[in-house]
Amino acid sequence: MTVRVAEDGAIILEGKCPAEDAETVARMLLLDPAASVDWRACDHAHTAIVQVLLTARPVMVGPPRSLFLRDWIAPALSGTPT
Amino acid sequence: MNDLLEQFLVECRDLIDAATADLLALETAPDDTERLNGAFRGFHTLKGAAGIVEFPAMGRLLHAAEEVLASVRAGSRTVSGELISDCLACLDQTGRWLDEVAATGEIPATPEDAAEDLVARFAASGRLATPGADSVPGGAVPTDGTPPDGVPRGAVPAGAALGTRVATAAPDWVARLAARHQSEGHRARAALRYTPTADSFLRGEDPLAVIARIPDLLAVELMPRGTWPPLDELDPFTCDLVITLLTAASADDVSTIANTGFGVLEVWPVAAAMLGPDALAVLEEQARLAANDTPEGFAGRLASAGLVASNVLRRSGLPDAASAVADAARTGQSDRSGAAFIAALRAALGDTEEASEPQPKTVMPDQSGDAAPRAQTTRALRVDVERIDALVSLVGELTAAKNAIGHTARLMREGTDLAAQSRALKDQHALLDRLVSELQRAVLGIRVLQMRHLFQSFPRVVREMSRELGKTARLDIEGETTEPDKATVEALFEPLLHVLRNALDHGLETADERRATGKPPGATVRLRATRDGDQVIVEVADDGRGIDPAKIRLAAARLGLASETELEAMPDQAVIELIFSPGFSTASAVTGLSGRGVGMDAVRSAITRLGGSVAVTSQLGMGTSVVFTLPFTILMLGVMTVEAGGQVFGVPLDVVIETTRIPRDRIARLGAAEAIVLRDRTVPLIRLAEMLDLPGTARESAGGDVSILVASAGGQAGAEQLCALEVEAFGERMDVMLKPMEGLLAGVTGFAGTTLVGDGGVLIVLDLQELLRCQESPL
Repeated sequence: MTVRVAEDGAIILEGKCPAEDAETVARMLLLDPAASVDWRACDHAHTAIVQVLLTARPVMVGPPRSLFLRDWIAPALSGTPT
Repeated sequence: MNDLLEQFLVECRDLIDAATADLLALETAPDDTERLNGAFRGFHTLKGAAGIVEFPAMGRLLHAAEEVLASVRAGSRTVSGELISDCLACLDQTGRWLDEVAATGEIPATPEDAAEDLVARFAASGRLATPGADSVPGGAVPTDGTPPDGVPRGAVPAGAALGTRVATAAPDWVARLAARHQSEGHRARAALRYTPTADSFLRGEDPLAVIARIPDLLAVELMPRGTWPPLDELDPFTCDLVITLLTAASADDVSTIANTGFGVLEVWPVAAAMLGPDALAVLEEQARLAANDTPEGFAGRLASAGLVASNVLRRSGLPDAASAVADAARTGQSDRSGAAFIAALRAALGDTEEASEPQPKTVMPDQSGDAAPRAQTTRALRVDVERIDALVSLVGELTAAKNAIGHTARLMREGTDLAAQSRALKDQHALLDRLVSELQRAVLGIRVLQMRHLFQSFPRVVREMSRELGKTARLDIEGETTEPDKATVEALFEPLLHVLRNALDHGLETADERRATGKPPGATVRLRATRDGDQVIVEVADDGRGIDPAKIRLAAARLGLASETELEAMPDQAVIELIFSPGFSTASAVTGLSGRGVGMDAVRSAITRLGGSVAVTSQLGMGTSVVFTLPFTILMLGVMTVEAGGQVFGVPLDVVIETTRIPRDRIARLGAAEAIVLRDRTVPLIRLAEMLDLPGTARESAGGDVSILVASAGGQAGAEQLCALEVEAFGERMDVMLKPMEGLLAGVTGFAGTTLVGDGGVLIVLDLQELLRCQESPL
């Protein structure tokens, strides 16, 4: 699995997360809106997942392993929603 | 090879096959929009795949073909044979690239030439707008119109400036984006705004993955098209994003990379946007001044143009560009030419004719670890999920059975009621037996391959061949869903190809000849596969001129296959079967396709090797039909073991007629050979040990019995030739998974393959028919 919930309730993204994970992440965030998302082991997150994260704006635990995510997506997620 | 490339190869091959089928269907029915859309989608998806693995040459080539198909879709072109041929050639080229990728594990480094020829061919007929240039010539402001949903926008308003046009006013968002990222702004050369279609996730696209491939990113912004919805209203499968970015790469590079997905893609050079329309107008004016090369006052004009331009650029926050332009103006004064100045001006404004420093190639991740020198070119096998599920549940049952045996073993060690335990063990053995045979069936089931995989390449072959021969032929295919073993399907390709060639070349008449005999001018070749019990039957039938026994008789006599009197006495059917004789050919001329003397005998031996047979029937003037009969699965083989020369060999049961013991004194000597009389037939007797060059045990003097295995040595059913083999002992019968001879042994004749037997030894299974043929030939 590329997405799972850790014992402390954090949502963990690992490896290359495909589009299907977006629905899972959205569901998890709906169940526990305060959950943080740990993407330190994430090599790639499909656009659909990024879109969920952009919508939900959870606390991100990073930096992600993917340089693209780290340099370009993480800053977008830490900004304020427009 | 990394996973990405493997996936790429599998997908592209499927796409090529599908697109080929669509193109061929389109040729026969040019109004079939379904097929047209199918072909278009195929090319488009292939182009996308090329983008994903960063294979620009392939992308360009497919883009060219896609444009042509798009114009057909738009109604501005009609489908022609030439158009189809060009598109097919494009797919062929792609196929060759795929082979290269499969062989080397890398994207070909210098594939340009081959592709450029094709792209040029598309362009020459005026059908092509190269990527990036199909917007408005002269760099005029592109329309803001959004292309219809689902149609990729190849239009990229970058770098199209010609003459003295140096740049185009960019839309507001470019300037705003640049303003928001002023710290990086001076390095920015291109701005991109990409709005993927709402269903792009469902189409399997990952827009950010495309963005991630753009080099030298300076800023990335992700916005919703409207406002962010609350999470519980978000549909995770609908793409609602607008991606904008700034990069230090040139607008052309960016559009080449990003132009793969569905949606609206806009790429603009940034410099122009930062200047604003007034400054641009001034720069345009300077370029016009420089372009005027009337000798008097040229140096002065250029100097002034250079000064004005560099000032404008400096004031707009482009100091590097300003000094480059000033330098170019100075050199221009000594060269008496404004060209360098105009070029520098364009370069400064993000146009790509600039001799920029070579862009560092982006390196694909995960490639370093793949040092495998040459990947095997085996194709991936697609398997139904159901079949895998069946396997998984079987493995579950097997595990349960294994545990039960362990339990029984424990009970037996304790020594209670041995009789009951052995009964239990027997039951468990029966269960295991059932499960193992089910497993075997299930595994073989995975290896089946639909005939479609084989047949789908033939419409193309028939098209090319009939064009070359100037005949009109249609190929009708039936039974594509028949599923024999993969090995059968794959091994059938060459024999079938050969028979098809013969049918087209010799079998079919030209359209004129057909009209003269009252047939429809277009000939039909039927390719049909059916299952008949344990066998699969593949038939190639044409409605051509048929085989003329008289001609065969003449050719056979000429080739010395039989004397004329013998030939006269032979029934027509037997004469027709002579086409399977080695070296037989009636062709008076060698055409490009057939008549090279490698004939039907090669077909017959290939089919026989697969354990099948081939028959031909023909009716003069009506057509010819060649029928292959093959075992449905060729892996499971019933064998019996025999001993010869102190070794154990397997003999395929299907050639064994009977086994018997006869008194030695019934062996009759016929010269150097021996024979026995079996049910009123004289059957030649061969000692297996001698045939295999093994040190046979010396035959005891008279008396005693010998073990004889009577085998079929080929020939038609009912009139088959028999052969008796003397062996030392008979062994057991078993079903084995036959492994073909491989590597150094692959060329050894007379052996069907090997298999592992219960005691861990290797059993060599003989190919008796082949052995007997070898035996005959020296005689």
